[in-house]
Amino acid sequence: MTRRIRNVLYKEWVSLAATPSSLLFVLVIPVLLILQALFLIWLLPIFIAPDMVSVFVEGSGGLQKTDLFRLLLLSQFRFFVLLIPAMIANTFATLSIVEEKLTKTLEPLLATPVRTWELLTGKALSGVIPAVLITWMSAGLFILGARLLGWADLLPYALDLTWYVTLFVLTPGISVLSFIFGLIGSSRATDAKSAQNLAVLVVLPIFAVIGIQVTGLVQFTPLLTALLSVGIALLDVLLLWPAVRLFARESILIRWR
Amino acid sequence: MIQTERLARRFGKRLAVDELTIGVGAGEILGLLGPNGAGKTTTIRMLAGIIAPTSGTARVDGLDPAIEPERVHERIGLLTEAPGFYERLSAKRNLEYFARFYTGIEPSDAAERSLARMGLADRANDRVATFSKGMKQRLALARTLIHEPRILFLDEPTAGLDPEAARDLRDLIQELRRDRRTTLLCTHNLQEAEALCDRVAIFRTRLVAMGSPAELRERQCEPALRLRLREASGDLVSSIERLPFVRRIERVDGEPGGLRVRLDDPEADRQHLVAAIVEAGDEIVEMVSERPSLEAVYLRLIREEPS
Repeated sequence: MTRRIRNVLYKEWVSLAATPSSLLFVLVIPVLLILQALFLIWLLPIFIAPDMVSVFVEGSGGLQKTDLFRLLLLSQFRFFVLLIPAMIANTFATLSIVEEKLTKTLEPLLATPVRTWELLTGKALSGVIPAVLITWMSAGLFILGARLLGWADLLPYALDLTWYVTLFVLTPGISVLSFIFGLIGSSRATDAKSAQNLAVLVVLPIFAVIGIQVTGLVQFTPLLTALLSVGIALLDVLLLWPAVRLFARESILIRWR
Repeated sequence: MIQTERLARRFGKRLAVDELTIGVGAGEILGLLGPNGAGKTTTIRMLAGIIAPTSGTARVDGLDPAIEPERVHERIGLLTEAPGFYERLSAKRNLEYFARFYTGIEPSDAAERSLARMGLADRANDRVATFSKGMKQRLALARTLIHEPRILFLDEPTAGLDPEAARDLRDLIQELRRDRRTTLLCTHNLQEAEALCDRVAIFRTRLVAMGSPAELRERQCEPALRLRLREASGDLVSSIERLPFVRRIERVDGEPGGLRVRLDDPEADRQHLVAAIVEAGDEIVEMVSERPSLEAVYLRLIREEPS
């Protein structure tokens, strides 16, 4: 990583730290998501008959029906967790670009020797690194919460290979995708809110994957999840080209509003 | 140091800069004067390697900004029309951030030195959001100079500032003259251009005129002598009009005895004129040389130029 990329990265984080509301959003939302998930998993088996559970969970014989239901819900978290990088990376992208537009710092920045790819990489890393790290920490918090709630016996079933592929391969891909959408959205937006509208393009497919998994129509095996990760990575590469073009100096000064 | 050759830029159907050919020598300050939308900022952006020309070439310190923008950026300082800072960060942190993009400077030292030069050392750790517009503009100049560039592009440095802040900033730019930096200064302010620039280029999409303020005045407007005589009778005016070295004579409206006389050679012919008036029996109460302002020259040239 070059000195200039580190410079952009560091400044983005310092800027975020100087904005308590944004910092709070980035740190609090993942925790709220996890607490909500744990609470629902704890709550739902009390009200819903779990006869259907065996349809979804294989190889977990010997577990109580309530535990089977909890296991089903715990397993859903593997995709539910993808909402965290999607939101965080998008927030970083939009805050970072929209701030440059609002404060009119892009032109003086473009008159320095920083290259466009260095600026873009620094900004991307400033969003993708915290998105991935916070997702991993959230997953750790989720595991800790599950243990504290007495579901340690269920974790070996829930934390299967698909879980790890999702966490360590799919999460970075989703983070990059979300950042790119944030960047594209920001180029035409004049405020952070409208810039974040494109984030829905990342969040909706995640909800779709969660829905597909819940219905049991498709079994997300490690191989299928790995293929999904490759697909997301290809999409990242495909979308990177228009994003880089949008971020070209001339485009920023002439076409951006 | 700066040279353009038929430099042009078109945005769609609109021609922003039309075949501009100018040169700025080492240590010279060239003022780029023109109305809004004349293409001044576009010219600076092309020279600074931020946007590419549609045709023509530019050289900045021997480099083509369209081909080697990063190397050009190492050598130039650009003061943009809007100062633009990260408002939640301190002045020093803002400068350090920009300083880290350059090679061969220590960001913290450079930021402190630059802040001190602009008289902002005591506000180094304050958030930029708390700064007045004048202070932000001084901070922007500090950022422009942070890597000690030999070439400066200053785009409307005093626009929107109150008179005191504008004067402070002009004084700072005046101090930079002593460092013999090559400067291209875009401005609407004609007094500013006259005070700061060695030469000015009057510009409206294409170059209209270029020269030192004195040269432009001489080229575009005839110098005149303004006289106030005790009587200035009609016979006297007629006799002056007949003198061979007098080009034109007119009465000054609302001023009894007031005359404006244009001579072939104001310096040499002045004494002959005085002698003729005294010989005719009148008395000179007051006599001053009238030089047209740069503003008068500018307005005349711009009005003649099709928009």
